[in-house]
Amino acid sequence: MMDDKRARFEAQVLPHLDAAYRFARWLCPAAGEADDVVQDAILRAFRGFDGLRGSEAKAWFLSIVRNCHLTAAKQQQRRAFVPLPEESDAVDGHAMIATTPNPESDSILSDQKQVLERLMASLPQEHRMVLILREIEEMDYAQIAAVTGVPIGTVMSRLARSRAALKSKWLKEVEGKPRAVR
Amino acid sequence: MQCAESLRVQAHFDGQVDALCAAEIERHLEHCAECRALLQNLEEVRTRLRRDVSYEGAPPELRSQIMCALDLEVGAVRDIAAAPRRIARGSALGRGRVFWSAIGGGIGGAALAAVVGALLFIPRVDSPLSGEIVSAHVRSLMPSHLIDVVSADKHTVKPWFAGHADVSPVVADFDSQGFKLIGGRADYIDHQRSAVVVYQHGPHVINLFSWVGTHRLPSNATRNGYHLAFWSQGDVEYCAVSDTSWDELLELVRLLREQA
Repeated sequence: MMDDKRARFEAQVLPHLDAAYRFARWLCPAAGEADDVVQDAILRAFRGFDGLRGSEAKAWFLSIVRNCHLTAAKQQQRRAFVPLPEESDAVDGHAMIATTPNPESDSILSDQKQVLERLMASLPQEHRMVLILREIEEMDYAQIAAVTGVPIGTVMSRLARSRAALKSKWLKEVEGKPRAVR
Repeated sequence: MQCAESLRVQAHFDGQVDALCAAEIERHLEHCAECRALLQNLEEVRTRLRRDVSYEGAPPELRSQIMCALDLEVGAVRDIAAAPRRIARGSALGRGRVFWSAIGGGIGGAALAAVVGALLFIPRVDSPLSGEIVSAHVRSLMPSHLIDVVSADKHTVKPWFAGHADVSPVVADFDSQGFKLIGGRADYIDHQRSAVVVYQHGPHVINLFSWVGTHRLPSNATRNGYHLAFWSQGDVEYCAVSDTSWDELLELVRLLREQA
């Protein structure tokens, strides 16, 4: 019975793991935090999987990711301590086999990408969230409402505001550097 | 200031309105310059976001950790359900567990023991060899689980198995062909101490499992995205597992079979 549940879970929920990870990365930009949130979310999702009906697995799973992030953020606020720098990173097994340089390293990231990600990061979180869910994950309004826990009307107005804000921030950025290569 | 229809124009842009409403909005757009400009802005923001926001997926280490966490979760529930059988089988498995405690000593020892425990209590019927091997492969990709003896020298790796596994597999380095020997590991497969030779091929890890057995091997398969190639030589059975392509995996199999 457990194997059956596991198989159904792998088929319905795990395909959305990449989306969940991307979403978590935008929710908590600190390195490593997104991993913890996604792991936490997977276990919660698996335990609550019997309650999932219909085909909205993606929205359901991402809403769990958001809840896990909220819980983690609250806990962190309560503890309010500065974490020590990670020292175990250098000796983990993956470092040993990673012989090729990381293709996503800063030097290769284009200037435009960096600017855009910085502008995105400067948006209020609830605005950034709807923008990512709509434009990157291509979810519809009802799904976004389910993930973010707000009415569809609010999703629409947040989308409108975040798009306008991003556009004007971008314009300001370009005007600030009139000779920037476009 | 803003046109009262702007949210409807946005909804139209997002494909969230029915045909009737869409026709209305199209008519509105014909004589509202402000909304036409809005539409253009929406298009621009979308293009920029979809082009420039990085679209990375979950890293493989996270994926393996998650598969392992699910293994543990399933195992824990199964353990509770199978508590009486666990006691009955426990004594026969004592030796294996002592061995694993010794291997796993240090960081992660407890976790490793728990994983092996979960694996042992899975009844054979619903745990075919392929599943067992994929779990072991994924587990090996977790930090510091990959290699017990780190060496590119077959004369170091092969003798190491003598004390740590029930089988002495073919160990060879094919660095010039792109398959670099990076070490060995003992693992628990098919109720015995299996020898695992670890190769690196580009960014991919290939685990070569071997154990003593003469049952009919499963046919080559792909499980959870990992390819499994089985073959046997004498009374030793082999399985090469990796996320590399089939062609590359089968090339290593060919090289290994030539060695024997």
